[in-house]
Amino acid sequence: MPPANPPPRPRAAAARLLDLLVYALLTGCAVVTLVPFAWMVAAALKNQTDFFTSVFLPRGDGFLGVAWDHLTLDNFRRLLVELPIPRAIVNSVFLSAGLSLLATLFCAMGGYGLAKYPFRGRAVLTTLVLGAAILPPSLLLAPGFELVWRLGLLDSYAGFLLPGLTPAFGVFLFRQAMLNRVPAELIESARLDGCGELRIFFQLVLPLVRPMTGAFIILSFLGTWNNFIGPQLILQSAERQPLAVAMNNLRGVYGTDYGLVMAGTLVSIAPIMALFLLLQREFISGLTAGAVKG
Amino acid sequence: MTPPVPAAPRSAPPFPRWAPWFFVAPWLLGFATFVAWPLGRSLVLSCLQTYGPGTTVYVGLANFRYLLHDELFWKALANTVRFTLGCVGVQLPVALGLALLLNRPSLRGRAWFRLVFFAPSLVGLAFAALLVALMFERRTGLVDAGLHSLFSSWDPDFPWLEQYVMTALILAAVWLYAGFNMVYFLAALQGVSPELLEAAAIDGAGPWQRFWHVTLPEIRPVAGLVVLMSVAGSFQLFELPYLMFNTTGDPAGPDNSALTVVMYLYQMGFLSGDLGYASAIGWVLAVLLISLALLQRWLARREEY
Amino acid sequence: MPARLRRLLTFGSPGVALIALLAAAAALILWLVPVAPREPTQFWIFAKQHQAVYRDLLVRWNRAHPGGHVEMSLVNGAVLDQRLLSGFLTGTPVADVMEVERSIAGRAFTGPIADVGFVDLTERLQAEGLLDGINRPSLSPWTSRGHIFGIPHDVHPVMLMYRADLVEAAGIDVRQIETWDDYFRVMAPLRQDLDGDGRVDRDLLNYSAADPYGTEVLLLQAGGAIFDAAERPCFDRPGNAAILARLATWLTGSHRVSRFADINTASGQQLIVDGLVVGVMAPDWLAGTFKQQIPGLAGKVRLMPLPAWQRGGRRTSVFGGTMLALAKTSRTPEVNWEFAKAIYLSREMATALYRSTCIISPFKANWSDPAYDEPDPYFRGQPVGRLYVGLAPHVPERTSSPFNMLATRRLANCLTALVAYAEDRRVDEPAALEAEAQRQLAAAQREFTALIARNVFLSAPP
Repeated sequence: MPPANPPPRPRAAAARLLDLLVYALLTGCAVVTLVPFAWMVAAALKNQTDFFTSVFLPRGDGFLGVAWDHLTLDNFRRLLVELPIPRAIVNSVFLSAGLSLLATLFCAMGGYGLAKYPFRGRAVLTTLVLGAAILPPSLLLAPGFELVWRLGLLDSYAGFLLPGLTPAFGVFLFRQAMLNRVPAELIESARLDGCGELRIFFQLVLPLVRPMTGAFIILSFLGTWNNFIGPQLILQSAERQPLAVAMNNLRGVYGTDYGLVMAGTLVSIAPIMALFLLLQREFISGLTAGAVKG
Repeated sequence: MTPPVPAAPRSAPPFPRWAPWFFVAPWLLGFATFVAWPLGRSLVLSCLQTYGPGTTVYVGLANFRYLLHDELFWKALANTVRFTLGCVGVQLPVALGLALLLNRPSLRGRAWFRLVFFAPSLVGLAFAALLVALMFERRTGLVDAGLHSLFSSWDPDFPWLEQYVMTALILAAVWLYAGFNMVYFLAALQGVSPELLEAAAIDGAGPWQRFWHVTLPEIRPVAGLVVLMSVAGSFQLFELPYLMFNTTGDPAGPDNSALTVVMYLYQMGFLSGDLGYASAIGWVLAVLLISLALLQRWLARREEY
Repeated sequence: MPARLRRLLTFGSPGVALIALLAAAAALILWLVPVAPREPTQFWIFAKQHQAVYRDLLVRWNRAHPGGHVEMSLVNGAVLDQRLLSGFLTGTPVADVMEVERSIAGRAFTGPIADVGFVDLTERLQAEGLLDGINRPSLSPWTSRGHIFGIPHDVHPVMLMYRADLVEAAGIDVRQIETWDDYFRVMAPLRQDLDGDGRVDRDLLNYSAADPYGTEVLLLQAGGAIFDAAERPCFDRPGNAAILARLATWLTGSHRVSRFADINTASGQQLIVDGLVVGVMAPDWLAGTFKQQIPGLAGKVRLMPLPAWQRGGRRTSVFGGTMLALAKTSRTPEVNWEFAKAIYLSREMATALYRSTCIISPFKANWSDPAYDEPDPYFRGQPVGRLYVGLAPHVPERTSSPFNMLATRRLANCLTALVAYAEDRRVDEPAALEAEAQRQLAAAQREFTALIARNVFLSAPP
């Protein structure tokens, strides 16, 4: 935060000019960043004819020169009443929330085990975690699909969830957080007081790494919500598919119905945006975790 | 190698032997089942020709031999490299530029700007594809219609999705991820010590010199990491072009201009049913990416000494 | 109690609490709202337009067959592709009866013939005497290695749809047109720079090198082919180079006559409404699509047989196609077959399909349908069905090679390269492009020979 009243300097005028330039540039970039969102919202509120005749809101003689009476919620009504999109929303929430909860728990456990217990094999396991974290996911696409097929889990929620529950990257992040934030003395004194290992983990260790927990759970939620290739391959039936797959199917059938497609896109990204606004700090620290902190 | 007794001076009771294994068990189980096994299996698969997982024939190294002369694979690799270079060359400078602007100490509203620039990176590629495909459409898309209404000399039928596919994809990537990488740069910039910059300024260094000789060396570790992440991410490009062009019946785009390595892998493995060839492509990609990562680590380490 | 709650929140950040809540709520909804039970026979279609056509028949079918209910679902084409392949290869559930588009059907023929997931209908069609009633060329895309795997849904002959309003306003008489050369010569006055920026905005044919389907339509019409009767690639066969060279001159240089409006996008449709292309290669289904999606062109367009490559040449081609296929894994094979016949053979369905989509039946017995003679005001009173039926026996045969999609795209690449070559050297005449065209095609031939030789399932002895 800048001081409230910086002492006047000889180069104040030049600095103020520079400030102005910086604000202008930033505002310009911000507008460019937001315009696609505005375009999408406008398209979702228009019918097909207005989509072709106006870039943003349809022109007319209403307030601000906009034909407000042309705007319609019909695209949303069709999407949410006539088409199977509500089911896809529930699927998306279920898969994303369920996977991120369990993955966070398992990664925290793994990270704790590797960071805070000196045991035979720890070095090997840590190397494995690092190795697994740098594998490109596409390498495991074909054999992973074959495995899910062999396990008889194709077209089931479990077939999609199980492979995602223990991301090596998450274990690595939690290991770093445990090393940085959990003092060994604290664990030892708890043991001296007769605490069990599980109680130490849940009541002592987890609260200490709370920022990482919050960040990682959000990160997993976002990743699962936006995942397309996984559900596309594993979840074949329409009633199990999340939004990423369902919306693209919808576009395949109603491709030229631009308002409907944009309304669907809006519905698909709005929950993530809302979550982001609600939990901004955790979001950003989650997405940048490991890089700057580690 | 360490004995299972904590080497603390105070004699704390040792932990039970099962404890560490209990905590790593879920990960270990998941790793063995869903990473180690498929990894080994993909080595086997890459020596098979398959029609789905059920029908397989052993073909030795024929998949790799064919890959060497497969024009589509090379086309896909060339496209992927072009996209990657575009991302590193355009999007990262934009990200760094934004971060530098935001790092100005007297700036107000930093949190708001950061929020705005960051927002697009939350949009998943599967959803971004829906938006981007319509944005770059001729005449009615935001890009052509917007540019034409701003500059009347702009051709409203500028064929983004016919002839400038890669440019359109790179522009989309700038919109999506510049703000994301900006957050890393900003964090690194805020770690640059103000004393160092002040000392340089007292020594008469201009803003440009200070940037080159003080700021850039200070943020180099983070910059290296961001480049590596960008390269690895760009190499995995799949959903955006695939879903943009899927509805045209040809997800590879006109003249295969949107074909990427992972898209080719996907098409081969899951639309032609050849999981063997898909695994071979996967291995080539993995070797490429892992060597890049090792190279980056080696460069970073060399710098430390 | 509050202490325990506080403890819960100490290791759960607000994010954790919120996400736990979401997970619980979603799981509850999924648990409380079970998926409705399925009818025993599933019928998948990918074309939105067919849904309304089949709905009535389906209701009557289900009323008449209490033990053999059929349920119809509309599935995106790309998804159908994915689910079908996945189903054949891995046993995930697929429909019992399905409409399959040509680009997808070929893929199902990639493996050993015994592994094709569709029921082989050859003997059944023969035994019930249905084979001779079907327009012969319309069977070709569904026949692999001598076995017929589907009942054709359509013929899809191609005509040329043109802007009659523009043509009349310019005082042009289209009766003089027999060949493509005639067409481009007679229509030449309509090529115009409408906004005065020095670029020609309105062009004569909706076509581009980036449009592999258009290239396939024109190649087939001209008698060219990229697969021979034995389904081996034949890019380099005599004749193809000359066709490609001529197409290149339509796309660039002083003889350029084409511009592309992608009819699958609304913006492409808008270009056509705006009168920026005069002629569109229009199979029967596209005539229907125009009627449904572009009401603004009603009374402004007419159809003529496709101009021929030379005098006396073929006046049509073929574009797209769908079959009705039955899944091998189905547990209701008899219901499937009876339902398939009910929906595809009946005159009533043929009429309904024509009325809503302009698509004509591949069953010759249905061709006498008076509905085909009804004047259609959208096309200025032309009897659209009759025009298409007249061309139906002349549609070219097609390959069912699983590599056809890929090969068609490769052909388009050859054309793109040829256009670039013509632009680089400023070559305008087809004859001067033929050698380069042959070189491009030979390269494609080498690639595809290698690609297909790689597939051990196709090259293995039967």
